[in-house]
Amino acid sequence: MSLPRALDGIRVVDFSWVRAGPWATRWLGALGAEIIKIEWPENERGRLPSSTTPQDVEVNLNTSGNFNDTNVNKRSLSLNVRTPKGLDIVKRLIAISDVVIENFSSRVLRNWGLGYEELCKVKPDIVYVSMSGYGHTGRNHHYTTFGPVAQAVSGLTYISGLPDKPPAGWGWSYMDDTGGMYGAMCVLTGLYHRNVTGQGQHIDQAQMIAGIPLTGPALLDFTVNGRRSRRDGFPPGNRAHWPGTPLVNNYRGPTVAPHNAYRTHPGDYNDWCVIVCHADEEWQRLVQVMGHPAWATAPKFATLAGRLQHQEEMDEGIETWSMTLGKYEVTERCQAAGVRALPVQSSEDRVEHDPQLGHRQMYREIEHPALGVRKIQNAPFKLSETPAINHLPSPLIGQHTREIVEDLLGFSHEELRVGYADGTFWPITRQRFAYMEEMLR
Amino acid sequence: MTEAQTLSGPLAGLRILELADEKGQFCGKLMGDLGADVIKIEPPAGEATRRVGPFLGDVPHPERSLSFWYYNTSKRGITLNLETADGRQLFRRLAAAADVILETFPPGYLSSLGLGYEHLREQNPGLIMCALTPFGQTGPWRDYLTSDLLHMAAGGQMASCGYDEVDAPGAPPIAPGGGNAWHMGCHYAYIAIMAALVYRTVTGRGQYIDVSIHEACALTTEAAIPNYIYRHEVVRRQTGRHHAPRLTPRTQFRSKDGTYVTALVAGRLNPRYVKDLAELLDSYGMAGDLTDAKYQDPQVIEANRDHIIEELVANFIANLPAEEVYHAAQARGFTWGAVRAPEALVDDPHLHDRGFWKQVEHPELGRSFVYPGEAAIYNGSPWRISRRAPLIGEHNQDIFCGELGLSLPELVILAESRAI
Repeated sequence: MSLPRALDGIRVVDFSWVRAGPWATRWLGALGAEIIKIEWPENERGRLPSSTTPQDVEVNLNTSGNFNDTNVNKRSLSLNVRTPKGLDIVKRLIAISDVVIENFSSRVLRNWGLGYEELCKVKPDIVYVSMSGYGHTGRNHHYTTFGPVAQAVSGLTYISGLPDKPPAGWGWSYMDDTGGMYGAMCVLTGLYHRNVTGQGQHIDQAQMIAGIPLTGPALLDFTVNGRRSRRDGFPPGNRAHWPGTPLVNNYRGPTVAPHNAYRTHPGDYNDWCVIVCHADEEWQRLVQVMGHPAWATAPKFATLAGRLQHQEEMDEGIETWSMTLGKYEVTERCQAAGVRALPVQSSEDRVEHDPQLGHRQMYREIEHPALGVRKIQNAPFKLSETPAINHLPSPLIGQHTREIVEDLLGFSHEELRVGYADGTFWPITRQRFAYMEEMLR
Repeated sequence: MTEAQTLSGPLAGLRILELADEKGQFCGKLMGDLGADVIKIEPPAGEATRRVGPFLGDVPHPERSLSFWYYNTSKRGITLNLETADGRQLFRRLAAAADVILETFPPGYLSSLGLGYEHLREQNPGLIMCALTPFGQTGPWRDYLTSDLLHMAAGGQMASCGYDEVDAPGAPPIAPGGGNAWHMGCHYAYIAIMAALVYRTVTGRGQYIDVSIHEACALTTEAAIPNYIYRHEVVRRQTGRHHAPRLTPRTQFRSKDGTYVTALVAGRLNPRYVKDLAELLDSYGMAGDLTDAKYQDPQVIEANRDHIIEELVANFIANLPAEEVYHAAQARGFTWGAVRAPEALVDDPHLHDRGFWKQVEHPELGRSFVYPGEAAIYNGSPWRISRRAPLIGEHNQDIFCGELGLSLPELVILAESRAI
């Protein structure tokens, strides 16, 4: 018998697209909710354009690798919501659902005739989570974001980089990941509240604004102490403090040294290991691991103040040693001696070489109809009674239209065929996939 | 009083016991600001995170850490020494009435004290216990030492963040600052705890949750993993923009005021976009030849991509302050933004419209300070900061005497014996 799942019996109408919204519903699906993804191929964003389709597979709506990983655990209903008939069908679906979630610009759902007041008429205790760029209220509600813009405006881009260089920022849409997590957090919190009180609500999440609470200590340093982040020595690269600049906390924990990335053997692009010493004893253990080189035993490195002041010389010395070993070897030697060290890991390292992720089964295979058997990223939490499991590959577009329309909503097979003929379930002028023809037999 | 002020937060009525250092304190804040009664249990001398800067007025003191202030709003604070029998006994009594325990101790520590989930659930079958640890409760790295920087290395953040060779020759991979490894772990811990709470509203059953910060980080690099799984390509680092298997055009441009603008242009250059772009640039007299009708031909656009991006867009931004570019571009529908330092957010009128900034009173100082607010507005059950971070043991009397029924003389004895 399979174990129960935390969100068994919860149905989510998912209008979300691109990445942040789908990343939210991916987790709700893994936790057991039934996710019905509403899609329309004429204005689809997330499946195409695809830069993650395997080299030997045709690029089309069903072959994006990134889409597959982001949209596991969902079913797909292709439906033109911008027609009265399509709108009526989606309202019937909402009437038997618990959650509506979307990540459009602030007025889109309302303009479709699906604003919160309208949703309440259809389902009085609906939990409605909107994930827009700037929220549904405020003078700039109509501004739009992608992850990089949300990161820039919220202050997150600025806090990453070397002093006197342009911001290095984030090498991906961190606020799509994080925005997605907040989307899932809002849904779960709203569901809990509904289960306890019987009341639904509209939860108005904003991608740009969600980035701001992630810089809390820097903000309080300004609002309380008047200290700006735009200052000498900030951001301090990988260090806690940049030598030769004012000695202040730079919001990455205690101000210590060593605190940096060091090249390792053989010196290729991702051959780096980070080492951090939080206390003098940890530094002494590192000196021991390095084999007591003469430079490291100099008195100026014995104190934290000395190590902070002489970071350049110290870091050069550490790197001379780390270059003699591979990054996993540096890690193992340091950790065995009680020194904080971990390798910089590429995607390949994580999937193929990381013994911890391997042990925890972080990447497990699921078969996808167009992409074959592929590894999928698993949940970082293990719930003892209700495990979160990726149980479905991402849906082909419109793959589940028949079962949703007929089995769930009670339409006849003839009505399904009419809906295809009149452009409700698929654009009349667009070629159908083979599985759609199969569905219509 | 508005309707919002009369409503309580969505987690009102929940009792959370938090035994957490830098790894988990943000998760407790997320729950406390949404209405849960979070009791932070600290060692008698206070949690180590009280010694992390910056400090009020740069004066180091366990009650003046701004980092601690920020991550511990809306919590009450008590002290307990779990290494004493009295401390353990008091903890068991608190656990009997708790909904959730959040702990960040090394794996096995609480069990070794007889306070593991297997012990505590006997008296409280609805208890949810979440262990948020660097690597989870099992595996070869289980007992490795970590830090935020270490997690950003092993989790893959650093391999994706850094510089184009032209901007910073030989630069290392760069870990973004701000403690985001802890944020990632706390977001996923919150999701897991809330899922368990929803399940409990239906079944009454509690459960144990094992959250790994390393896994949370390893999940948070967007297409880096799919690029490898589906195409066997490993991404490279680029200045201020997406990692990619191959070099892509830049998206970050220096503005007249010496800051930067993120302008997503490449990959979007179709005739309509170019027409809108020409109008934006022309409104400042900087369109160059972009208003020429030839730019309605996709082939001409493609052939002039570098001219458009590296000359026209770069020149436009170089001649204006970043904020002006940001608002002028967004007003015309461009998804562009100013690269702001955190302090620049404090005066943002949009955030003021949404009531984002909160005044938080610190009565012991006779002052109040401005704190950042909520990621999402809960229209039916508002987010709020109910109180500033607790002082060390501030609520010992409320909890131990008011709730557990100890007398003041008993409290004195417990303090003298260092149990609290």
